[in-house]
Amino acid sequence: MSTVSIAHLRKTYGQFVAVDDLSLDIPSGCVFGLLGPNGSGKTTTFKCALGLARRDAGDIRYDNVSLVPQTFERIAYVPEKSVLFEGITVAEHMELTRRSFARFDVKRCAELLAGFGIDPRKRVRVLSKGMKTATAVALAFARTPDIMILDEPTSGLDPINQRVVLNLIVEASANGTTVVFSSHQIGQVERAAERIAIIDRGTLILEGAVDDLKARRKIVEGVVDEHFSVDGFAGDARVAYVEHNGRIIRLHAISNADDLAAELSARGAIGVRVLDLGLEDIFFQSVSTAASRPEA
Amino acid sequence: MPMTFTVDPRSGVPIYLQLIEQVKRAVALGALISGEQLPTVKQLALDLTINPNTVARAYRELEREAVIDTAPGRGSFIRTDGAGNQTGHAAADVVRDVVDKTVREAKSLGAQRALLTEIFQGALDRWFPEAQ
Repeated sequence: MSTVSIAHLRKTYGQFVAVDDLSLDIPSGCVFGLLGPNGSGKTTTFKCALGLARRDAGDIRYDNVSLVPQTFERIAYVPEKSVLFEGITVAEHMELTRRSFARFDVKRCAELLAGFGIDPRKRVRVLSKGMKTATAVALAFARTPDIMILDEPTSGLDPINQRVVLNLIVEASANGTTVVFSSHQIGQVERAAERIAIIDRGTLILEGAVDDLKARRKIVEGVVDEHFSVDGFAGDARVAYVEHNGRIIRLHAISNADDLAAELSARGAIGVRVLDLGLEDIFFQSVSTAASRPEA
Repeated sequence: MPMTFTVDPRSGVPIYLQLIEQVKRAVALGALISGEQLPTVKQLALDLTINPNTVARAYRELEREAVIDTAPGRGSFIRTDGAGNQTGHAAADVVRDVVDKTVREAKSLGAQRALLTEIFQGALDRWFPEAQ
């Protein structure tokens, strides 16, 4: 078992609240995608979860145990910004990692590096940003950790190497590793993640299984006459919000879209249809709904 | 592995439902025959670069619907019992979904029952002339 539990996490920098009362429960073996705009608190959340930043409040647990030194044998973390030593070679990094972690698989690491086209004799300094990320990813996966935390693991990589990283995530997950990763590439999260959370301005906006969110979140659209009143739908718990432009009405459904479609037809709308939403649509729907909420 | 699947992860249709639909369609069309083995969960997840639990969910659902059998340690296979009937059954499922969607769409556009009956009768007459 390798669960990660974040409860009521709060982190401030001076007056700025980076993370506010964030709770996430990540099941064992799950690939969990963390989405959010720039500055929404993703990296801060990772740092607090790993004890790299001191939290103001909240609780972090791995398999229901607080972070202790031994936990780091089981967790690998690839930060967004490279923390590799610029002056030494990739091969020397392999040796450092081997000396630090008993489970490090040197042969596997060499294979992963070759897959990315990285020559281990090169110094980190001469690698591009993407190749530094790929080096860190290779070092991390070769440790065969129980829990993998990846902050933007595909940034700076070409589409082929992005796919290599995603398949490493998929393979690790199939072997039972719990993977938490952030990405701005929603399409990648949509592929690899089973569950996602969307955070905005340090607050949890939406959390759930990708397939369940897609099954529930729909747009119910119909054409109505100009006297149609949206009142009945505006306060409905099944509806996030209503768009009403002239004769077109669109209900952004959180659940029960088929029932809403039937009700909309019964109230005289014609051409009623239920539109599916991809994760990107759901992301924008959630973030824009949150932005329109009054500030607490 | 002879069978190839494709999924569109960006679609609003959940990936596990896309997989279920494709397996059923392949069975209905005879592209997958009884006793044929499906890729392992891990293999299909890697082939399509999708989450392994999503593949597992699709396989569980297909097993529940008696389309496949999963033997622990051996893999997942298209069911052999009543293969002929079962192929027909899967075809009926595919057709039912298409017709249902069409009728719902037609109704939402304001079409009346009588008109739809006439349209369906016309289509049946055209494609099954021998039955007239």
